[in-house]
Amino acid sequence: MSENNQKVVIVPCSGIGKTYGTVSREAAYELIEELRPETAQLVPLSLLVLGDAAARQAVANSPTITIDGCKLACATKMVQESGGKVAQDFAVLDVYRRYRQFKPQGIAELNEGGEQLARALAEEAAQVVDKLTAEGEQNG
Amino acid sequence: MTEFLETSVDKFIFRVATDRFYNSEGVWAKEEDGLVRIGLSDFVQQRSGDVAFAEIKPVGASLVFGDEIAVIETIKVNIAFTSPATGKIVEVNPAMVEAPEAINQDPFGEGWLAVIEPADWAADRVHLQDPQAYFTRMKTEADEEAKKL
Repeated sequence: MSENNQKVVIVPCSGIGKTYGTVSREAAYELIEELRPETAQLVPLSLLVLGDAAARQAVANSPTITIDGCKLACATKMVQESGGKVAQDFAVLDVYRRYRQFKPQGIAELNEGGEQLARALAEEAAQVVDKLTAEGEQNG
Repeated sequence: MTEFLETSVDKFIFRVATDRFYNSEGVWAKEEDGLVRIGLSDFVQQRSGDVAFAEIKPVGASLVFGDEIAVIETIKVNIAFTSPATGKIVEVNPAMVEAPEAINQDPFGEGWLAVIEPADWAADRVHLQDPQAYFTRMKTEADEEAKKL
């Protein structure tokens, strides 16, 4: 799983102007930049919407985790429509229900609760990345 | 089968069930075999956003018309709602603990909040709005919200 194209793909919500969308992206950045830079890579939802070949190939060939900001679940739906299989989907609202003490607020810039929620979400996703990475290594 | 009044405001569609009454906050009340089932209107759930938590007064709680009966927390707001009936709570929707998103998904059906055994439903009902009156009120509020966009 060390090759770039074998990294676990993370596709967050692309919703602009919504707190949960911002939480999803901050969690994705935390995951790929801080927690699991060697084993996770981000594919922007916007590239999938545009039909970008490299983005479509990434989700089609690698295990993918989606982080949806709302019930529309655009990230999950777009990965599926791009030929990818979602290994795990996270919904920010569900994660917030598990961490009620981290109430997110803000849009361009999250409050402390939002940052903590994004961190908690990233840590949960990191565990899934580890699991998928281990499965990939076992399968050769 | 429930019928609805419906209106479009901007990109949103709002429905009002015609088989129940409403208080000024958009809490609906529907009489069922001497009991009163309550919930939140479609307009309230759309305006409030995705419900993260819903806290309902417990079974056995006695309420007077206008007493706080539920609080919902969404990404946007925390809102308290008042009871449209005087009486005792005899049932709380168990979905409100594990899946309060039912309020958003089916506000007039599976997303109900509680059932009240009313002390005097006939007396309470005169203080509520019928579906057409609530529809008119709701549409006015929705139009005002749309102007802010």
